[in-house]
Amino acid sequence: MSAEVEETLKRIQTHKGVIGTIVVNAEGNTTLITSTKVDYAGLLHQLTMKARSTVRDLDPQNDLTFLRIRSKKHEIMVAPDKEYLLIVIQNPSE
Amino acid sequence: MGIAPDITNAQPLRVITEDTCLFHYLVPAPMSPSAKSMCSETGSQDSGDGNSRTLHWDPDPSTLQLHSDSDLLGRGLRLGMAKVTQVDFPPKQSVSYSKETQTPTCTQTHTQAKPAEEEEEEEMAEPKPAEESQEEKADEEEKQEEVAPKDLTEEEKMQLLHSEEFMAFFDRGSRIVERALSERVDVCFDYSGRDLEDKEGEMQAGAKMSLNRAFSDERWSKNRVVTCLDWSPQYPELLVASYNNNEDAPHEPDGVALVWNMKFKKTTPEYTFHCQSAVMSAAFARFHPNLVVGGTYSGQIVLWDNRSNKRTPVQRTPLSASAHTHPVYCVNVVGTQNAHNLISISTDGKMCSWSLDMLSQPQDSLELVFKQSKAVAVTSMAFPLGDVNNFVVGSEDGSVYTACRHGSKAGISDVFEGHHGPVTGLSCHSAGGPVDFSHLFISASFDWTVKLWTTKSTRPLYSFEDSCDYVYDVMWSPTHPALFACVDGSGRLDLWNLNNDTEVPSASVCVNGSPALNRVRWAHSGREIATGDSDGQVLVYDVGEQICVPKADEWTRLVHTLVEINENRDEGEELAAQRLVA
Repeated sequence: MSAEVEETLKRIQTHKGVIGTIVVNAEGNTTLITSTKVDYAGLLHQLTMKARSTVRDLDPQNDLTFLRIRSKKHEIMVAPDKEYLLIVIQNPSE
Repeated sequence: MGIAPDITNAQPLRVITEDTCLFHYLVPAPMSPSAKSMCSETGSQDSGDGNSRTLHWDPDPSTLQLHSDSDLLGRGLRLGMAKVTQVDFPPKQSVSYSKETQTPTCTQTHTQAKPAEEEEEEEMAEPKPAEESQEEKADEEEKQEEVAPKDLTEEEKMQLLHSEEFMAFFDRGSRIVERALSERVDVCFDYSGRDLEDKEGEMQAGAKMSLNRAFSDERWSKNRVVTCLDWSPQYPELLVASYNNNEDAPHEPDGVALVWNMKFKKTTPEYTFHCQSAVMSAAFARFHPNLVVGGTYSGQIVLWDNRSNKRTPVQRTPLSASAHTHPVYCVNVVGTQNAHNLISISTDGKMCSWSLDMLSQPQDSLELVFKQSKAVAVTSMAFPLGDVNNFVVGSEDGSVYTACRHGSKAGISDVFEGHHGPVTGLSCHSAGGPVDFSHLFISASFDWTVKLWTTKSTRPLYSFEDSCDYVYDVMWSPTHPALFACVDGSGRLDLWNLNNDTEVPSASVCVNGSPALNRVRWAHSGREIATGDSDGQVLVYDVGEQICVPKADEWTRLVHTLVEINENRDEGEELAAQRLVA
């Protein structure tokens, strides 16, 4: 991987409270980068697609830019793109 | 050919470029406007050639040579055969695109533009093919992705990760994610506290103490043990630490007291004080912000003043029988602004009260003896909140005594037996609140336990037995009614919250290197804890808000906790009594 991508990835992975970082392709069948044992990729891909289609159904000119799921224990952040999804899971109480 | 040699303007032949495939000869221009179209393009490569010149190609070198000879006959220059290269030009490429795209309009104009450029240029043909193949490759890549294979091989994955689009995506995505990560706002926070009840268990796990500062001085604190700590009542960032003697440096003063400043980042002490005898206890004089009191090993009480430039004490008590002749482990200023005394107790049981203006003789002295004969070897002393008359002392024989200074029953009143080893630290409950708990006190001892007592009963209420080493000191939190800290010889600093759990500490931290921690002191704010260790280091820890900030119901919860503890104790005793009988 290029040096910049490596460095940014490392910075995110070592950020306070971050449990895992995943990069999935747009179809959701290939995980390019993963740092967790649990497979969030498939589940979150489906959820992101649903969220995106919801946003576009409400307004076709609109599109999903960022998805954030706050649960009791974790916070899951998804940055979607045309080709890929960047997913980061953080434990905010740390 | 129609060239009329112009002798006056004749130039010698010169090679314009040494490129093997391109070879120009610059010959005097024909005046006819029928210049070949291609020549105009190549002419642009040669800077400095005028527009009047056009290049003329003649693949036959021999004719050129003839021309040149005839030009320069007058000058007598002989030209020799120069480099001749046969050049082959690749045929013009006709490029056609067959890929399908989502935005057909864009690509069509693009493809139309390309062939137009192609026609004119031959010299530029070499860089051109490279560009095209790159584009074709990009198209292929896109096709590959559209097909969407189920599993990409490692190589394909790496290829993807190196691609331009991935870089762009990652740059955008990571930027947003990093911003989101750094936002610590909890939009779900419930001020009514309902949330926190559920989170009780998890909070304990996440609650932490974090090291804020570590104070040590190469010259003055190395190889010495921290014997006492005290926070300044006037300046919450100042902390005085007293040290005993440095065995490796016999020529240095035996007793050192350093005032450290938490506010600034400098690593040297704010004030350095020393004296001839090891300082066993130190305190900021409560109503005299410039004075630091020290009790020494020799029995002398010394007074340092930060207004003077001296590092040695400005006042000293005499070494006489009227004062102390044994090490003074406890010094404390009690009273009010107008009526206060310095109380000091030495290990022979003698308690003296002094006026800070005059240390030449004690105002009052009292022998602490138990049952009229046994002198109490006092190692620690504590005054309950707001009380100037009654106090508790811990002794080397493992018992804790209550005593009072004045009145008909001045001296030791009650004995509290329970510890199996010398009592090292005592602390009276000091967190003021809706309920008064000033009858509670805790004691730490060499028997690995911390015991909770009430002045109303001579048997301990509870024994905290989580430590595996001598417990050297203990202190109630000044703000939280159910919280106290204790330190032991294995380098552990424990925080116990009676309302949460009495079996295990609510928070615990082990100091790096596991030195024996000799002293622990809460800051007056109740948010920081200072500990002194056997290596001469003073460590200040920040305590997490969830632990150290009391909630409104802590006092009432403590009442219930105490009732429970009482019941358990009574049950335990009944069972023990039954067993004895049986």
